[in-house]
Amino acid sequence: MVVDPLYIIGAVAIGGVLIGGGVHFIPVGGAPAAIATATGVGTGTPMLAAGGGMTGLITAAAATTSPLWLVLLAGGAGSALMLGITMLVGNWVYIWGVGCVPSSAKVKYDPITKYEQSKFVTPGTEGHGIPTVCFVSGIIGGLLSGFGGALAYYFLYYGLIGTSGYAIPAGAYVSLGAATLAGTFSLGLFFVNSVIASFNIGGTIEGFHDPKFARLPRGALACIIASAVVGGLGVLLVQGGSF
Amino acid sequence: MADPIIAGLGVVALMGAAATIAGAAEDLESDTGSMSNPNSQVQLAPQMGNLHRIFNKAVSGEPVQMGSWAGIAGSIAFVLLSLNLPAVMAIAGGAAVAALVHAAFATSSHLGRIVSVSKFKQPLFLDVVTEHLGPIAGHGFIVTFTIVGVSYLMTLPIQGLAHPFPLPMLAVLWGITIGAIGSSTGDIHYGGEREYQQYPFGGGIPVRIHGDITRRAELGARNSLDAVNFCAKYGGPVTGFCFGSIVFFSFWSTVVGGIFGSISGAILPGNSDTNTALAVGTGILLIIIILIIIINNRMEVFARNKYGPYLK
Repeated sequence: MVVDPLYIIGAVAIGGVLIGGGVHFIPVGGAPAAIATATGVGTGTPMLAAGGGMTGLITAAAATTSPLWLVLLAGGAGSALMLGITMLVGNWVYIWGVGCVPSSAKVKYDPITKYEQSKFVTPGTEGHGIPTVCFVSGIIGGLLSGFGGALAYYFLYYGLIGTSGYAIPAGAYVSLGAATLAGTFSLGLFFVNSVIASFNIGGTIEGFHDPKFARLPRGALACIIASAVVGGLGVLLVQGGSF
Repeated sequence: MADPIIAGLGVVALMGAAATIAGAAEDLESDTGSMSNPNSQVQLAPQMGNLHRIFNKAVSGEPVQMGSWAGIAGSIAFVLLSLNLPAVMAIAGGAAVAALVHAAFATSSHLGRIVSVSKFKQPLFLDVVTEHLGPIAGHGFIVTFTIVGVSYLMTLPIQGLAHPFPLPMLAVLWGITIGAIGSSTGDIHYGGEREYQQYPFGGGIPVRIHGDITRRAELGARNSLDAVNFCAKYGGPVTGFCFGSIVFFSFWSTVVGGIFGSISGAILPGNSDTNTALAVGTGILLIIIILIIIINNRMEVFARNKYGPYLK
């Protein structure tokens, strides 16, 4: 299978938009959330998105020889699984370790469960923990960013095995060199797009119900431009002949 | 000979156990060095006039830091394995070198962090440096040893495993993941509770008390080893549970899916049998995700009923 260079640029650009867009859904509260002063997961946006993306990349790569839809599904499921378990255990700590109720000060009622929020927010804070709407938003973000990473990985892998240097060795079913290089490239793509998204949302966001979510189109535009450039570098990597 | 799927599940369970230890040790390592986001309060305290004896080495994100240590340990283990050393010795050798680098990093980053607040009269305590380096490097060793161990098991030619990524790369990926998990789960116990223990339990930390961290221990001044002693009772174990579950369930797509068709990770070519197995396995992961959403909602309802609203 020979992959057209435009497919690689397109796949990396779309993958980048999915990663960057996905990050907008992931509820991250940064340092304030780590001390239960803000709603969301208590870490930085790029860090949590990259952590989820890595698990997605591992599950996607385990399906390397499968069709595209299965690689995408495996990547999305792996990433969402990581974020889901992390948010769940994070809430254990908020509820039983810190003793607060998951709640948000940005909405009066949870848009999904309709639970009232303001009464449960500690005075002087912007909320704490991960209420249901943030949790569902985080799962959607994990799925999207997992799809994006897996998409870029898949096309780069097949682009690389079409070259003589990374061809699948006789007797093997997978090229370890191509898988490694495509995986490393996708890892870089995760960091590029999650940092761009982090700049766009100003470091913290609660999910799709947060007013900052309206900035998504601007972030997606920035991600598609940056990812297209990264995709061009990917084509140089595959077709440039320097490897 | 054992059923390949049973053997695969056994190895995945072993990986989950190793990952559980890794997760717990990672959280305690970050508590020892105030590595993650709660470091903001340790950094802020002197500026609010609260001088302290807490170790602070947060000069990078926790995932990047753990990815680096796991990558160093994985690379050296990979080289030692290629020299035909036994796996346990090779992995221990890699983790030992990573621990040395970790200790050097911890020293210079703590000195830098403290010097940056010296204008607020925060002294640098050399006994704090020497007391904390051992636990930091020790916990770091446990993390890198178990992470590289998990990565090594993933590369073995076992049904459902045999991952196409090489050992050092898997170590970096799991290192970044465990850093993200430790930063998101156990560190909240340190930041939201242990750092503000002089305030009543049961609520978030209002902005007006930011920087007023607990500086007195049961006897004398509090240091970061006291924080580890506290967080080892809850924050550390739940972080371990979190990472262990993620590693364990991540392989259900290939190992448990393997019950529904012939599968061997990336070793076998994509055929309909393998694809069926992977599709079923991934479907199982999606069902687990839906269950997690429901469990989280039940927890939220429990907390609302148990704690109730804030009174005016």
